Amino acid sequence: MHTPYARRLTFWRRVALTPTLAVFLLLSILPLLNLAALSVHNVRWEEGRASWDYVGFAHYARLAEDQLLHTGMVNTLIFSVVAVSIQIVLGFFLAWAVSRIRRARILYRTIFILPILVPGILIGAIWKLMLNYDFGLVNDFLMLFGVMPQDWLGTPHLALPSVIIVDIWHWTPFCFLLLLAGFESLPQDLHEAALVDGASAWTELRYVYLPLMMPVILVTFLFRFVTSLKVFDEIYLLTGGGPGSSTEVISYTIYRTFFTQDQMGYGSAMSVAVLFAISMLMVLAWATGRAGRREAA
Amino acid sequence: MSSGIKRRDVSFGAAAAGALASIPWTGSVRAQTAKQAPFTIVINNSPWFNGFRKTVEAYEAETGNKVNLDVNPFGGSLEKQRASVRAKDGMFDLLIMNGLYYQEFYHGGFLTPLNDIDPSFKLDPQMVRYDNTVYWNEANKTHDPKGKLMSVPVNGNIPILLYRADLYEQHKLKVPDTWDDLLANAKKLHNPPRMYGIVQRGARGAPNDISYDWWPYLNSFNGSLFRDEPKGDFTITINSPEAKAALDFYIRMAKEAGHPQTGGLAQAQIIQNIVTGRAAHALLVIAAWAQMDDPSKSAVVGKINAARVPRSANGKPAPVLGHWLGGIPRNVPKARQAAALAFLNWFQGQGSQIKYMEAGAPPVRQDVLSDQALWKDPKNRWMPAMAESSAFTRLMWSIPEGSQIGDVLELRLNQAVIGQMTSAQALNAIADEAHSIMQRAGYKTGKIAALS
Repeated sequence: MHTPYARRLTFWRRVALTPTLAVFLLLSILPLLNLAALSVHNVRWEEGRASWDYVGFAHYARLAEDQLLHTGMVNTLIFSVVAVSIQIVLGFFLAWAVSRIRRARILYRTIFILPILVPGILIGAIWKLMLNYDFGLVNDFLMLFGVMPQDWLGTPHLALPSVIIVDIWHWTPFCFLLLLAGFESLPQDLHEAALVDGASAWTELRYVYLPLMMPVILVTFLFRFVTSLKVFDEIYLLTGGGPGSSTEVISYTIYRTFFTQDQMGYGSAMSVAVLFAISMLMVLAWATGRAGRREAA
Repeated sequence: MSSGIKRRDVSFGAAAAGALASIPWTGSVRAQTAKQAPFTIVINNSPWFNGFRKTVEAYEAETGNKVNLDVNPFGGSLEKQRASVRAKDGMFDLLIMNGLYYQEFYHGGFLTPLNDIDPSFKLDPQMVRYDNTVYWNEANKTHDPKGKLMSVPVNGNIPILLYRADLYEQHKLKVPDTWDDLLANAKKLHNPPRMYGIVQRGARGAPNDISYDWWPYLNSFNGSLFRDEPKGDFTITINSPEAKAALDFYIRMAKEAGHPQTGGLAQAQIIQNIVTGRAAHALLVIAAWAQMDDPSKSAVVGKINAARVPRSANGKPAPVLGHWLGGIPRNVPKARQAAALAFLNWFQGQGSQIKYMEAGAPPVRQDVLSDQALWKDPKNRWMPAMAESSAFTRLMWSIPEGSQIGDVLELRLNQAVIGQMTSAQALNAIADEAHSIMQRAGYKTGKIAALS
């Protein structure tokens, strides 16, 4: 039953939302529409002015033949799945360990989150120096044990794993923080009950904490997975997509198409296609999660 | 740039003013360098930047005019320049454009012809023309000297061969004339990991590393990207047998006498290897020379010498132009355009160019480059190599699609060096992709038979 008061309330709620909606439209939808419009045009510059030539879906047709884009998509998926999975596992165990500590918990938490506080450009500089073939600390250290130096960023089969390691170092603390919040929100009496039942730490982790933490783990994984698909700074700073196309990722391909090659129309088509693919991925993940929850209920 | 001006810079300014007063065309220089509006230069942070910065400081000290420098990495500078010239009102008043991408600013109509700002402005006869790239004929899109003057050379970067003169003396080696000579010398000095015979810039660059390093091989093996670009024949010939021979030789050099990770080496790593004494040879742009004799950066002070780049047994040497041009955008206020032109006018003076050279940047005046008195100074021992090379310099391309083709070259050549592709596969792939780029851009183009 809709009373006049309820109707008025609904009306004012909608009015109150209007400015937010307007800002959202201005900042999100309009640029997307502009991107979509650009993706069906070629941009030429003459006498200092831009002219847009309509090319239909020609740019989208090119996407199917673009081998570098395909390599970038495969590399991005490998990068995201491997890096984020390891980050979740490491973050989970670190969070679990820190949640069990009684003393100096804040100190440990501060130490563990340090890497996400370091600016990306510094991370690039630090790791590029550490992984340098001729002068890097990593090779110097390995040579102490008689291991031959490796070109971590310049060898095709080592470059992507090296960038993944840097990403794990950089982003594990983020997973750790979210998962620690999850552990700290669990009721303390569960731990006490497990103690009374004589459960070992491993049994408690496996049968009590893991099932209870699963929603937090899933959210953390999804959140981090989506952000990892946008990886750019580590690639830009460490390898530039090379050697060859070994570390080519989607965002770097789009960047080079837009900014190095100055192909705005084609770069826009790439962006729209990638946006669409990621949205589909998210919808699929959301639908799978929902179906899982229904089954569990 | 009000900071960092030293007394000797001011003294130099006074000396330079005196020198300028002694040559006939300086009347207009002094008139134009009278009080000007502050203006901004957008520039890349390349090895010659410090020399440019000190020269700008000298200009400020001499004229009292204010110059702001917006300094960026190579790729970042291009992006900022594009964004500025495409805006309604430009941020930057003087663009320092590289020889590989200035074309898009000419073709796009983003620059003001310099004589539209000041009809009396003339490029000094002593200034090097660099394949006439300072001129632009809008009608036929060529660097016709009868076209409009669009820019002033700011840096005359070309690659030269740097070699360890002390090791040459010790092993009684001759300065190489051909690539074969270079390979033979490099193999003699190759003793990895303590000493690499040669270090090559084989990385996939952003925007250019390996293509710039390989181009002197390509051209001297009589290969080319297009059949006859100056005559408008844009048939892709990059997958010719000559180009394959050039690429095979480049890879052979890397395998037999080079760094084990040539595919990962960019310009910074090449310089690093040379100045730390771990490499016997490198092709490097002349602008990198300043670091060779700098005791704070180099462990091989006085041990490096320079020679022109080698040639193939049946070809000419072909150092590539990687020069820089200063152009003034059309979308900035007239007062700032005039201020930027006044600076360029001052910059092309002989005194300014000597200061520029002393500060560690390669000059762009012929009379400075060929000044025998300067050659005698051991710290300028690179000058004969530069003078000899200048006679053979070639432009990589003059089309605005160069940035797209360059990106393709960087990827495929790098893939050939690291073994992801054979040289024939890489060159065929470049040919296919370059052909598509040219077709899409509307050029009359074609392809030759693929390499097998």
